[in-house]
Amino acid sequence: MIPATDLWPRIEPLLAAVERPARYLDHEWGAVRSPEPGDDFSFCMMYPDTYELGQANQAVRILVNAVNAAEHLWAERAFLPAPDMIDAMRAAGVPLASLESCAPVHEFDALGITLPHELAATNVLEALDLTGLPLRAADRAEADPFVLAGGPCAFNPEPYAPFFDAIMVGEGEEMLPEVLAALREGRAAGRPRADILRYLAAIPGVYVPGLYAWRATDEAQAAGSWAAPGSGAPAMVAKRVFEGFAESDAWEPCIVPFTEVVHDRLNVEVLRGCARGCRFCQAGMMYRPVRERSADNVVAAVLRGLDETGYDEVSLTSLSSTDHSQIASILSRLNRECAGKGIRVSVPSQRLDAFGVQMAQLVAGQKKGGLTFAPEAGTQRLRDVINKNVTEDDLFSAIDAAFAAGWRRCKLYFMVGLPTETDDDIKGIASLAQRAYDRARAAVPADQRGNVKVGVSVAVFVPKAQTPFQWDGQIAPEEVQRRVDLLRRSVKYRAVDVSYHDPKSSFVEAVMSRGGREVAALVEQAWQRGARFDAWTEMFDEQAWRGAAESLGLDLAAIAQTTYEPGYVLPWAHISAGVSQRFLARERARAAEGVTTPDCTFDDCSACGVCPDLGVANVLAAARKAGGEEPAPGDADGHADDGLDDLDDLDSVRSERDAGANLWDDWDDDLDEPADDEGGPR
Amino acid sequence: MTEGRTFRLRVSFVKQGRLAMLSHLELARALERAVRRAKLPYAVSNGFSPHMRIAFGAALPVGVGGTAEVCDVTLTSYLAPAKALEALQAASAPDLMPFDCAYVEPGAPAASAAFPVGVYEVRLSVAPERVVVPDTVTVVRKRKEKVLEVADFLCGPVEAEGAVLRLALESKPTGSLRVDKLVDACLEATKAAGCLSPDARVASITRIEQRENC
Repeated sequence: MIPATDLWPRIEPLLAAVERPARYLDHEWGAVRSPEPGDDFSFCMMYPDTYELGQANQAVRILVNAVNAAEHLWAERAFLPAPDMIDAMRAAGVPLASLESCAPVHEFDALGITLPHELAATNVLEALDLTGLPLRAADRAEADPFVLAGGPCAFNPEPYAPFFDAIMVGEGEEMLPEVLAALREGRAAGRPRADILRYLAAIPGVYVPGLYAWRATDEAQAAGSWAAPGSGAPAMVAKRVFEGFAESDAWEPCIVPFTEVVHDRLNVEVLRGCARGCRFCQAGMMYRPVRERSADNVVAAVLRGLDETGYDEVSLTSLSSTDHSQIASILSRLNRECAGKGIRVSVPSQRLDAFGVQMAQLVAGQKKGGLTFAPEAGTQRLRDVINKNVTEDDLFSAIDAAFAAGWRRCKLYFMVGLPTETDDDIKGIASLAQRAYDRARAAVPADQRGNVKVGVSVAVFVPKAQTPFQWDGQIAPEEVQRRVDLLRRSVKYRAVDVSYHDPKSSFVEAVMSRGGREVAALVEQAWQRGARFDAWTEMFDEQAWRGAAESLGLDLAAIAQTTYEPGYVLPWAHISAGVSQRFLARERARAAEGVTTPDCTFDDCSACGVCPDLGVANVLAAARKAGGEEPAPGDADGHADDGLDDLDDLDSVRSERDAGANLWDDWDDDLDEPADDEGGPR
Repeated sequence: MTEGRTFRLRVSFVKQGRLAMLSHLELARALERAVRRAKLPYAVSNGFSPHMRIAFGAALPVGVGGTAEVCDVTLTSYLAPAKALEALQAASAPDLMPFDCAYVEPGAPAASAAFPVGVYEVRLSVAPERVVVPDTVTVVRKRKEKVLEVADFLCGPVEAEGAVLRLALESKPTGSLRVDKLVDACLEATKAAGCLSPDARVASITRIEQRENC
């Protein structure tokens, strides 16, 4: 049913007293105004944080569009109001409302909540509570909306399991409309809620937590899974992949917010997936295989998007946009098309080599803020352990190129607490940053050297489900502090600034990342004790979490910090990203030996299992070359100051990368584990 | 980038309905995007971060609407005002709709300074017996309290017709008195004098005219 209640008359009077009312208004350019005739099943897509974060989220945009494009289905957006508005709504007894029709969320047929990161769990409960729906799926009535989840945290869904009727694993473009169509059919046929949920469990990628009993530790280890499926539920839920991604139009309708949101610009997704294989990185495992949209598709989408939105900035988004096989020609074409219009093109996720800088330079124009690079670890040994296939020379050539091209500031991202890290690796961060600073100064005219700044930003390693480091524990917060102190003492240059992320919230992140179903009660208790907006540093309430753990008798340190042998069955063993547990274990063993694994989009297959298991394959628009794309003839014409004229710098980088690239040959010699059942090299 | 002749197009538009809730900055960004969507031949500034040459009228507080708002867009080529208006209208949200376009002389005062006087219509939920205007209004600016003399800013009397008040405020080079602050102060003083029901509230404030002189 399409919700009929309009809460606007009750919300409007609250707006005079809250900050930034523009985020509660709807009516933005591009917002869909009303259901199509024939739409009779309503879905509310919610992001569990404020409008500023949620409206920028691409999943929200993609999924609302996908649902609205489907027959009979009508989708609206909802966000968690900011704390002042939440309090005002509670005081006035106004429930959570959707944006478009300002209808109570509990009047929709289904509610979908994306789980973007580990610190959004209490916000999920805050949102559910504001809707007035029971927090736990088991307590919901026949007529209540179905509450669905998806997103990155679906790859370890257990800390959220009791709160959702169903959790979708993987890409939702096709899965979500299928799920909603199934719900609609079930409702139309008057089937009981439990039957409908059983039916949902048969849809590939859908996990219905209520159909699984939770096993005790020993039993789980023996059975190979913690989740014991009830009748009709699959033992293993494998993620969905949107196979049509590469061919699908890179342009899709988008909403232009009034109030400033994060990433407030046109976002065009140029490729999906990254096969670089960093062993700590969940996104790298989760979004395989790699699928590139063609240069023609991307350029057309950007131009249409700029036309229809009026944005003055476009970002070419993906996990590693500068790895796109046609990135240089995409950027050159966009530069030509946008010349003189005051349009900025930006490429996030800088690739760490001179080619990455060339690409940044192509779009930077005259204004050069800061560049960000992520070496992640301070020594080559540790970078090999984590499979960050980047050398000091890569970093230094990037620095040389960037500072010679006019940049004066750069930020280097590192992690502390990575598996096998020693104090030498920490000191290595200081050493690397200081040498980077020396290189940067040397690349800059003498009178500008005082402006050179190098920032070091340190985050705590959080072990993530479905990665080679999923068995590794996080280091304790006190140890984080010791290592950060060591780093700060080791940095002698005043121009090198060290900042780090609060280890207390990283600890909760690790608990949420690695916990099983028992953690759901922790989330509920922490929320009852006032935890919400945990990802906002000033709002994070450590005591709420500690107190909840104490009253439940949960050992949070054990959840976050225990290191297991590969082979130990983890709480997400019944969920598959397509990447096999065998591959993850093998990668963990190679990490221990400091052996790297190449990126299969540049090199040979690394037998991760995704392609054979899911029946998919990498889709590249053109062959990828390690040193970056050769510019097409004529691309540099008339763009003398675009930086394409000194491609000489690239040659040295390219040959270095090629030299150490092919590791496949000694694969089986390094490890005694045959790779034949994984699809191996063919 | 914008050598040669340019043309200054003054766009008049409304800010109404729930979009009265936009801040000046949000409004400015929305207008810029409408100009881009309308594909007007807008001029771009020179310098390190080139941006559209657009100038906005006197700011309205969050929550205050307007039916006679202006902004000036600098164009690199002449476009018939009717054409420009048509293109802008097709690219604008209904509650931020342009209703007039006209060229102004290059040397004319900026949109923000051209009309120091704003005429406001204030709708109250209940009609007052009479309106009590306080002599001073205390405002907080940068965490400091400041006392403003109402007479320095108010042009003429506050007229009341039923639940609708009408008043004009002049902004001075040294500063201005925010209409919503003055209205709040008037309501408080009127209630204190027993001339208005204690639960009366402001339903809307709209700037209905902008002019040069009191």
